[in-house]
Amino acid sequence: MSHAAEGTRVQKHIGDPVGDAAPLPRAKLEEIFADLQSDLRYDHELNGCLNCGICTATCPAAHYYDFSPREIVQLLWTENLEGIYDAMQEKIWACAQCYTCAARCPFGNSPGGLVMLMRETAIKHQMKSAKDVLRPFSRVMLKLISTGNQLAPDMINKDHFADWGPNISKVDAPLKILRKAIPMPTLNTTATAWEVNLKTSVELYTIWEMTGVLKQLEGIDENLFDVITDIMDEKREDWKDFLADQEEDQ
Amino acid sequence: MSDKPAERFTGHGAEWRDSNLSPAEAKIATSWVELKVDKRSMLTQKDRVEDVRDAMWQLEKDGEIVVHRVREEHQPMMVKTLYGWDKKIPTTRLWHHKSCGQCGNIPGYPASLLWLMNQLDTEYLDETDQTSCTAWNYHGSGIGNLESLAAVFLRNFHQAYVAAKAEGKPESYYYPLVHCGTSFGNYKEVRQYLIHSAKLRESVKKILGRLGRLVDGKLLIPEEVVHYSEWLHVMRQRIAERRTIDVSGIRATVHPACHVYKMVPQDAIYDDSINGGNRLANSTGIMQALGTQVIDYSTWYDCCGFGFRHIISEREFTRSFAIDRKVKVAVEEARADVMIGHDTGCITTLDKNQWIGKAAGKGYELPILADCQFAALACGAHPYKIVQSHWHASPTETLMEKLGIDWQAKKAEFVAYLEEIKAGKQENLYDPRRMVTSGPGYIPIKAA
Repeated sequence: MSHAAEGTRVQKHIGDPVGDAAPLPRAKLEEIFADLQSDLRYDHELNGCLNCGICTATCPAAHYYDFSPREIVQLLWTENLEGIYDAMQEKIWACAQCYTCAARCPFGNSPGGLVMLMRETAIKHQMKSAKDVLRPFSRVMLKLISTGNQLAPDMINKDHFADWGPNISKVDAPLKILRKAIPMPTLNTTATAWEVNLKTSVELYTIWEMTGVLKQLEGIDENLFDVITDIMDEKREDWKDFLADQEEDQ
Repeated sequence: MSDKPAERFTGHGAEWRDSNLSPAEAKIATSWVELKVDKRSMLTQKDRVEDVRDAMWQLEKDGEIVVHRVREEHQPMMVKTLYGWDKKIPTTRLWHHKSCGQCGNIPGYPASLLWLMNQLDTEYLDETDQTSCTAWNYHGSGIGNLESLAAVFLRNFHQAYVAAKAEGKPESYYYPLVHCGTSFGNYKEVRQYLIHSAKLRESVKKILGRLGRLVDGKLLIPEEVVHYSEWLHVMRQRIAERRTIDVSGIRATVHPACHVYKMVPQDAIYDDSINGGNRLANSTGIMQALGTQVIDYSTWYDCCGFGFRHIISEREFTRSFAIDRKVKVAVEEARADVMIGHDTGCITTLDKNQWIGKAAGKGYELPILADCQFAALACGAHPYKIVQSHWHASPTETLMEKLGIDWQAKKAEFVAYLEEIKAGKQENLYDPRRMVTSGPGYIPIKAA
């Protein structure tokens, strides 16, 4: 059976974006594009394109994926709304965010930067593809949003990183002891990369709330959002208790 | 199987056709790109790139912001960046802005840096009141936005500005030194947007105001965003003077980090005496000063394959790229004894992704270290207590043997030291009381 008769994975998922019928109502596609364009970075990252392809020639993701930064720029530059929507389903997640394309582009475009705007927009619109792609990343998001540290020593273990081989540590000792053997006292931790001041965490939560990051998270993973808000509430209570104790002492 | 290429949707439009070039023809068609990846081609942009610091000084003059200056007390050294602009690198009174990946995964990276600073009597503070830049998560997931990145940047840098007050010293005493390459790139990029966008400044000012982190009611912007590898670069001769091990037999390859020199490229250091002034000077400079042979290799410009999300949840890409485009080339083409990096993600990727290569008959074994770890080793730092080489999956032992370091004896010393730790005896690079500057656990320490 021919490939065309079966339909491609993209066609099954959202229809054929270059077919006669639009996969989504035009108004929705325009809304998505308007969100992209309204970011103040958009005009800075997109200046024009002559299809020279130097970005794709130096792109690491293009070696292994059906991904081309040139294509991303062209879709945006020509305002190909269906194509933009299609790229947001999968292709934008292939980008390795190295910004080689940005450093190379003779027009000063930043395809990598544009990909970030598209990822943010995919999350804003709660696209299923974004939820699927980010599911395995939730452990990292939990750590980052609740502690301000992306990576913690207790995350690096053989269960999660079997392909890193047997040498997570070449000295066999409990993690807690190995961490105490680091001569920087801030690093004698296991659940965070460094000890984070309680006030710092509380300030970070204010940033997440005021910048809409928590709302983004709620839209993409409600369970994770619930876990994180519980942790935030707990730490805020701890901070209030500390301040109350300070007042009493005075 | 249909032979109609248009049936494969690529986003190019229905008229698009495969070129069907043979591998040899494809190589010829694209090889010019590989030849044009040096500094000279970047210089074509020069007339269209502004020095954002000019606009920054104007904003301060207009009363919009306060600039955290690199002052004489920070004993700055001047370097030249891509377009020949000056950049001030503070060399002392440094506030360590740590990297979550380094501290969580390769702790010998920051420990080696602090050890070198102790050798050079550099004044610094390593404290708990800081978050990561949050940009690893942002670039991996898209969770976050320009406003959150800007607020985190300004919050951390404001803390650097006021931290010394906890020790009875004045504001602006310490200057932030950024450990992570991604933090460095992200902060430089965000600073540009903050300087250019009144709207962004306005929204972030509300947040920083709520946090009590404005200076005279204004946003605090750093004069320079400085990466630790830039400090290492300007200190390279002084560090080399402390070298105790002959490293002249070592063939070193350098992996320059994308977020250090491809993001906001005009702010990266270039030096005419290093790599002909055509490539980033960081790391190569210190390796040459120490006396190693820095060997060129054809894929020096490639990224490591980290990918931010890929290293966590799409590792097939990460390990394939790391092995095929970096490690394999360094071993087979450059016959390297070590690959040196200056960023969290690169060191992690290149170090951790070699073992799995055996599954595909690519069992390369190339030691991977950060520039400061190698420098510390060369200056006599303990390979386990300081350089913490046991966290490295790559065979750092083979490098140590080439350096004449009896790693087995050193490892035995470290294992014995772990017993002392169990007994509550611990060696630190600084007074642990200094690490908490406010809140629970804060112990006021009088200024010396």
